[in-house]
Amino acid sequence: MGEIELSCRAYVKMYLHACLFPRCGVNGLLLSSASPPGGAVCVTDCVPLLHSHLSLAPITQLALTQVDVWCSQTQQRIVGYYQANACASDSSPTPCALKIADKISEQFNNAVLLMIDGGKMSPDDRVPPIVMYERKDSRWILKDKHTIMLRQWEETRAIANQMLDSGDHTLLVDFDSHLDDITKDWTNQKLNNKILELASPANGNV
Amino acid sequence: MASVSELYDVGWEEMRDKLRKWREDNCRNSEQIVDVGEELISDHGSKLGDDVWIIYEQVMIAALDCSRDDLAITCLQELKKQFPDSHRVKRLSGMRLEALERYDEANKYYEAILQDDPTNTAARKRKISILKAQGKTTEAVRELNEYLEQFVGDQEAWHELSELYINEHDYGKAAFCLEELMMTNPHNHLYCEQYAEVKYTQGGLENLELSRKYFAQALRLNNRNMRALFGLYMSASHIAASPKVGAKVKKDNIKYAGWAANQINRAYKLAGRGTKENKCSMKAVEEMLDSMQITMS
Repeated sequence: MGEIELSCRAYVKMYLHACLFPRCGVNGLLLSSASPPGGAVCVTDCVPLLHSHLSLAPITQLALTQVDVWCSQTQQRIVGYYQANACASDSSPTPCALKIADKISEQFNNAVLLMIDGGKMSPDDRVPPIVMYERKDSRWILKDKHTIMLRQWEETRAIANQMLDSGDHTLLVDFDSHLDDITKDWTNQKLNNKILELASPANGNV
Repeated sequence: MASVSELYDVGWEEMRDKLRKWREDNCRNSEQIVDVGEELISDHGSKLGDDVWIIYEQVMIAALDCSRDDLAITCLQELKKQFPDSHRVKRLSGMRLEALERYDEANKYYEAILQDDPTNTAARKRKISILKAQGKTTEAVRELNEYLEQFVGDQEAWHELSELYINEHDYGKAAFCLEELMMTNPHNHLYCEQYAEVKYTQGGLENLELSRKYFAQALRLNNRNMRALFGLYMSASHIAASPKVGAKVKKDNIKYAGWAANQINRAYKLAGRGTKENKCSMKAVEEMLDSMQITMS
């Protein structure tokens, strides 16, 4: 199967989502605005969805539909799903994770399922604490680590740590929080801008 | 680093009152509790009178949540000095061991408490929490069921059990727990809405109709519950689109869905005023409602 690249923005938001709700399982969708050739997937953004009752249908369906609509308005598509389990020592996909990932792969062949490994999260990770799965013969199998790319991992990690330290993760809005207060923006434009600022060459990053 | 009192321009009484409010509302905003509580204890401990002990307990638990073992130990030592034989303090010692993942030692503490006092509910619940933390969900469920046979009025336990069942995808049993909660808390819109979500997830026409009814009930209890509003919209739409329903049921459900769609649109228009921020989500909702109207008619 093809390569997958995870952008800084997607990784940081996913990471901050997991840090914002350390006691809950969290999940979200992985999006792509690019279509590189040769079956490679470039995850350029993510939408954090839930931090409660991940396996209940109505809100998940609602979120999938709304994100779908937003994607078609913004030339993006849903290419995957991420989840972090409440129990940090267990990073295996739950049945609901598999179900949602299955649904996504109906629309997109090279869909990925990403599990955040809570037990491995730390400020000095040499590698990102994630485990990826891809679909083969209607089963989800572990993806070869060498096909997973995170450009400039050290910068990405530094940005994530910086935002965590300065409390920026509290700015993150997931779909659950949006339903509690619909004036909050689940597309997280504010946070995206902050990440862009921190990643820009003016800050000494390449 | 600026102190809490400097940052927020508050005196020690306000800090103490804030902590009390958080205790009463059972908030788990542990980082804030640690910030406020640590400063209150160290700078104004002598002014707190007897309140200081319950504040030590509150801050200790919050400290465990934030991996501040240093602060937790300080609080625990003060409490041990003041209440040397207390079961309540023993439980806190156990909780500290749990935070350090020394579960077997923690269990010994709780078993000692239960030997002394078999009705000590706090110790039993901690033992169940350990099972949950270790991922032993089946045992946790079994123990919690046994607990509820004895302490059938414990709302917190019923809710915890419903959460465990939902995580295990055992929706029938989750629904049963929520039914218990709705019976004893008929005005709680959250239980109605959660029950409706479980029924929706179970699927099938009968469950969808039940889910629609309970989403509607949740809205009657709190007309700002957006989940219930969306839930009503979706359940009514699915019923209307089902080939198994008669013309009248279809018509009624289209009406309910239409009403819900209007309410949703109104809510989003109201929310969208003056803020550029959520224009994206607003547009997404509008389009979604439009497209679902088309598939229904």
